[in-house]
Amino acid sequence: MLVIECPYCGPRDQSEFSNGGEAHVKRPDGNTDISDREWSEYVFIRSNTKGIFYERWVHSHGCRKWFNCVRDTSTDEILKTYKIDESRPNLKEFKNKIDTPSGEPELGSGNFTVKK
Amino acid sequence: MNDLTIKSSPFVNTNQKISFLFDGKKLSGFKGDTIASALLRNNINFVGRSFKYHRPRGIYTCGIEEPNALVQIISEYSEPNTRATVKKIYEGMEVESQNRWPSLELDLGSINNLFSPLFSAGFYYKTFMGPHKSFWKKIYEPIIRRAAGLGKPPKEFKAISSHLHHNVDIVIVGAGLNGLLAAKSLINSDHDILLIDFDTHLGGIINNSNKISSIDNQSPLEWVKETVEAIEKSKNIKILRNTLVTTYNYINHLIAVEDKYVGSRPSENKVNSTLHKIRTEHVILCNGHIERFLSFQNNDLPGIMLASSFEKYICRYGTLPSKEPVLFSNNSNSNSLIYSLINQGLRPKAYIDSRSGENIEANLFDIIRKNDIPLYTNSQIKGVFGNKRIEKILIEDSKGGLSEIKADFLCVSGGINPDVHLFTQSKGLLDWDEKDLTYKPSKPFQSTITLGSASGQFNFENICNEINEKLKIFKNKKLDTKIDLNINTSYQIEKLWEISPHEPSIWSKSFIDLQNDVTTKDIRQAISEGFDRIEHLKRYTTNSMGTDQGKISSINALGIVSELLDKKVNEVGTTIYRPPYAPLSFAAIAGRNSYEFYDPERKSPIHQWHLKNGAVFEDVGQWKRPWYFPINSSESMHDAVQRESKQVRNFAGILDGSTLGKIEIKGKDALIFMNLIYTNSFSKMKPGSARYALMLGEDGMVKDDGIISKISDEHFIATTTTGGAATVLGCMEEYAQTEWPNLNVYMNSITEQFATFNISGPKTREIMQKVFPSMDFSNEAFPFMTFQFHNYQDTQIRILRASFTGEMGYEIYVPSNNAIKVWEQIHSFGKDFGLITYGTETMHLLRAEKGYILVGQDTDGSITPIDLGLNWMIGKTKSDFLGKRSLTRSDTIRTDRKQLVGILPSNKKERLTEGQHIILNEKITTPMPMLGHITSSYISPTLGHSFGLAVIKDGHKLIGSKAFASTPDQKTIAVDIVKPIFYDEENKRLVS
Repeated sequence: MLVIECPYCGPRDQSEFSNGGEAHVKRPDGNTDISDREWSEYVFIRSNTKGIFYERWVHSHGCRKWFNCVRDTSTDEILKTYKIDESRPNLKEFKNKIDTPSGEPELGSGNFTVKK
Repeated sequence: MNDLTIKSSPFVNTNQKISFLFDGKKLSGFKGDTIASALLRNNINFVGRSFKYHRPRGIYTCGIEEPNALVQIISEYSEPNTRATVKKIYEGMEVESQNRWPSLELDLGSINNLFSPLFSAGFYYKTFMGPHKSFWKKIYEPIIRRAAGLGKPPKEFKAISSHLHHNVDIVIVGAGLNGLLAAKSLINSDHDILLIDFDTHLGGIINNSNKISSIDNQSPLEWVKETVEAIEKSKNIKILRNTLVTTYNYINHLIAVEDKYVGSRPSENKVNSTLHKIRTEHVILCNGHIERFLSFQNNDLPGIMLASSFEKYICRYGTLPSKEPVLFSNNSNSNSLIYSLINQGLRPKAYIDSRSGENIEANLFDIIRKNDIPLYTNSQIKGVFGNKRIEKILIEDSKGGLSEIKADFLCVSGGINPDVHLFTQSKGLLDWDEKDLTYKPSKPFQSTITLGSASGQFNFENICNEINEKLKIFKNKKLDTKIDLNINTSYQIEKLWEISPHEPSIWSKSFIDLQNDVTTKDIRQAISEGFDRIEHLKRYTTNSMGTDQGKISSINALGIVSELLDKKVNEVGTTIYRPPYAPLSFAAIAGRNSYEFYDPERKSPIHQWHLKNGAVFEDVGQWKRPWYFPINSSESMHDAVQRESKQVRNFAGILDGSTLGKIEIKGKDALIFMNLIYTNSFSKMKPGSARYALMLGEDGMVKDDGIISKISDEHFIATTTTGGAATVLGCMEEYAQTEWPNLNVYMNSITEQFATFNISGPKTREIMQKVFPSMDFSNEAFPFMTFQFHNYQDTQIRILRASFTGEMGYEIYVPSNNAIKVWEQIHSFGKDFGLITYGTETMHLLRAEKGYILVGQDTDGSITPIDLGLNWMIGKTKSDFLGKRSLTRSDTIRTDRKQLVGILPSNKKERLTEGQHIILNEKITTPMPMLGHITSSYISPTLGHSFGLAVIKDGHKLIGSKAFASTPDQKTIAVDIVKPIFYDEENKRLVS
């Protein structure tokens, strides 16, 4: 279970939070004419990053505030959480500190050795 | 008791006899005994039958790694698969052996052993394919289930556990020599520490062996006692005994289970176990090592035991599994067993070592010579033989010469492994040590420190240096503890994984996994069939997939595979170790979230009234809602619903609608916000009026519906469906915070603050006039879809003229505390007008007659408002609302979408059923194109026949045509497709 730092309440167990998928996906303004493709990309399409990922969380069993988070999906390391109105942090701020980017030990998975 | 009890161990109280039942036979042991140590005291070693071949099995180890001695505890709700080597006995305990019928001695299943050549790796996958697929379910599975397996699942079950959370700085797992030393060096430091051990008595190797002669010139046990006292006195260290760390999760989150009733009968109504959920900054793993066994012919016979376990029985339990065991080893770790035996005035019957003479330690040679122990160096055991117990041992020397000795007990040692289970659970990396022939922790993934044999340091001289060095980051007190050994040896081992049988046959077996009955032959076969990757091999052979997870054998399997594939062991890799370390019960995991606390039950403020009035309840989400109110026990649901419906249509009925979600929305921009959230436009609505509204997802599909009451442009109250309340509030909050943070708007759930009564029927107005005499209920003063506040006996209530039945009616919102008073008031006045209370089933029938949809029943997340024929609810002039753009997507503007229609049976005597498919053909042939299905169906007392709502392809165009509804018995019912409204199409009754 992860420990997530709510920007309003501080570090709490993951069980208090719900994940809200990819962050910084802008909802198209209803006043502008957009094609079916542009709209469907907003509604249906999300990236599925392995590595550093911007995502939304909500402190659903706490302050009920939404906030953004930078998480390394391969190691589950939470690199930063920030309020919804703060600007998106630059990727260069983060370094992957873990040697095996998948988080799987080089030894430990037979399947993993197969790939070598 | 007999002469197998050798001394009064400090951990077993020989003055306190305890009697227990094993397979119905009354036996006795001492306070502090495990089932296994007590059985060994009674000279019982044969304790179970094996998983697949039903071979006799004995006690193999003295701890949690036990693969064989699993028993069923009858006196504890028949708890199966309990390790006899761990579970302590108590007075009156009832224990049974497992997987045998009719008895342990005479087991009919043991015929499997004769047929064993058939049951090779992948047996199930290969054999039970035909002749028909039903054979698996009806014939094979029941038979296999009975023959294979371990204990029987308990029929009745009750266990209580609680959860306890810890937030600490350091967790020390294991309070053996290293754990105690580490804790000692951190006494009164600034760190909050948990010291966790699975045993009741701390000390580990000190208690379990004769390896250590003195610590700081004290007797080892005296040293443990003093150290533990010092730790207990410290301000910063808490000790958890009888607690097993099963799980090491991400971010140093550990799960440990504490047994609260070690050595006594668990209480029926108190917490039996505590699940500790621990979050820590650092973990120090001192969980020691595990000895492995060796594979040779019949290495599973009762009478074979790991060498260190034999020593543990002597030192920890004061019981002697045998007086003259033979010892077979390939390493130096078993040397202390010889010392322990000599120390007891005993002598091993023979010592067999695969190492050559010059590799065997000189001090061991001295003991062997001095005591005249028969010595076989450079030799291996080719096999052991006997009936239900070993009787003779076949030994081969380096030149191939065979000799046979008679013996009834054999201790084996195949070397030791650090117990890396928790370390790898934490995602730490392992390294293969070619000298010590084992995987050792190398690179931690989290803040994890390993000490002593858990880190692969099998020797004692460096203990203090290692602790001083590795715990430097904690600014610990430097240790300078002097540890003296009885036999001074540094760990040394020679490679030996498997010894082939002398006369191989299709029946000869050398086991690699005792619990799952996997033989070395199975491994060869799996490799020859192409399953040569370790993860595949594990699953194909089921090697190390038992409840013991192959603790004493998985490294051996890697060794065998590496030799077969001619690879290095680190090229073979290991399988992944996953939590839990050892089985833990579901009861422990469930904690207090069980039985009535499993899920909250939500009750309306007038729930007690419903109970008193004989309501039958239905669960709607977490809510208990009255389903119908039978007048007596003989009235069926159908009769009650027909009666309730007629009464509402002819007189009046009242429904407890308190479970409806209620959300209050306030703020300067509340109007803009509501216009964005719902499809409808609220701009032109007058304060004091209400509107039926739809909420869509961004995909354009109907998500929820409800009535929006506008108090002012800055204040709204929305109702939601009972099940959708939390989702709708969550959705509003999400959009208010993430998409439109510039809007000044706040929302809050008021579901539980207000009870809601839905009263409707032709007599409603008269009843309301009686209850609230100062109000004017005339159509002019109180038109449809308006609301008024009213002070009723110091309570402000809100009355909304709306209806979900099609009859004229009101929704009355009352603060929950006063709800019952108003409810009873309405009933006392309503009696004279024929008012009845109805439940959800009648509500569903009445709303369906009127064609009102139920979100979630008539819609399923793929239905747009246009599909429902609710185009009038879409605020087309609004520039934006949730899902607006999706209503003109290429998919949603298709005309052949499934659309809501009404369905009537052409023959009015026929009865429709929910879920029936609507098709165009009278005769069913496959494949049969399906138009859609019936979403709601009831028998209407008002219409006098069955009717339904359905979603069917191109439904709106098909209105007026004929179709068929298919029945489960392959027949069809002719139906007419009609408009989805069956009652008062002109809304005369509603607005009059």
